[in-house]
Amino acid sequence: MLLTSVILVLREVLEAALLVSILSALSAVHGISRGWIGWALAGGFLAALGFGYSIDTVSVWFDGVGQEVSSAAMQFAIYLFMAVFIYLIRVPAGSGGRNAAVMKVVMAMIVALAVTREGFEVLVYLFGFFANLKQLLVILVGAGIGTGIGISTGALIYYLLRSAPRGWSQVTSLLLLVLVAAGLSSQAAQLLIQADWLPAQLPLWDSSSVIAEDSVTGQLLYALIGYESTPTAIQAGFYFGGAALMLMISASAWLYTRKYRHGT
Amino acid sequence: MISLQRRLAACIVALALTGAAVTAQAEKPVFEIEIRNHLFWPSELVIPAGTKVKLLVTNQDPTPEEFESYELNREKVIMGQRTAVIFIGPLAPGEYPFFGEFHPRTAQGRVIAK
Repeated sequence: MLLTSVILVLREVLEAALLVSILSALSAVHGISRGWIGWALAGGFLAALGFGYSIDTVSVWFDGVGQEVSSAAMQFAIYLFMAVFIYLIRVPAGSGGRNAAVMKVVMAMIVALAVTREGFEVLVYLFGFFANLKQLLVILVGAGIGTGIGISTGALIYYLLRSAPRGWSQVTSLLLLVLVAAGLSSQAAQLLIQADWLPAQLPLWDSSSVIAEDSVTGQLLYALIGYESTPTAIQAGFYFGGAALMLMISASAWLYTRKYRHGT
Repeated sequence: MISLQRRLAACIVALALTGAAVTAQAEKPVFEIEIRNHLFWPSELVIPAGTKVKLLVTNQDPTPEEFESYELNREKVIMGQRTAVIFIGPLAPGEYPFFGEFHPRTAQGRVIAK
């Protein structure tokens, strides 16, 4: 039971921790203060509580697929904020584009939504044990360990990103962000397939014998690049389309910056 | 430019229609599973291969459970005393394990597509 709790919490914490570490690394590179993180985590926690509390109601929406649809909507919203972020971070400050305050709000929204989406499952799980105090204690210890490992992994990635030279750090962080966004987009498509809103297809390939999704590597890759061992064409389309769109937005911001610099 | 936009619009409409057609096709076969004392009943479910089916999972326990399967690519929280709708398939013939993420030691099962 301890191990179950560790793994369950770790899986959820890992995704949010990864986002926080990438965004903090980018904040540091761009000299943006990191006060937004506390607010984002607190806001996300409260929203997760609210979402977990109302999951009974949400679940019956849309003929019983409200849970999938609302989760997918959150994933798409995170993607959207990431797209805004990746544009803002590439245009220079003061050009009418970048603004530290706006960027902090955008980053806070990304993290808060991610915490809501991942956190509600953990909270529902924990609340399920409230009637049994002895079990709850074990579960809480496990949750603490899982959270610890997740945060440590996030911290490790943060320091790896920060230890690289500025240019490398920036490019790597942005690329990671593009991959995380692509993963979110394909996960959202997957949820809509589960809800029967998007057609189901046979998988394009099966790489589970190479990297199983429930292995440590699989879980890390899932959080990092949205790894999926048996993706369908629609999921792959959302993945690569999602990545391409982010790269295009980033490139257009870069072109805009060049024009702006040459213009002044 | 306009023709490109029109073409794009036509594509979107076509996609939407395909989606509607897929959704509107004949009712999917329904299968039911229960969760009792953190166990799946039945723990083995045989479904037709190559067909999308509607799985109704009723959690008879007072505590929540999460239906999860890496092989089926499914994940859904089911509160205590509630029934969840989960669409699965079309599947190639084979075995697809699933488990309850909140009680994975006991809550184990598999879908067999034939």
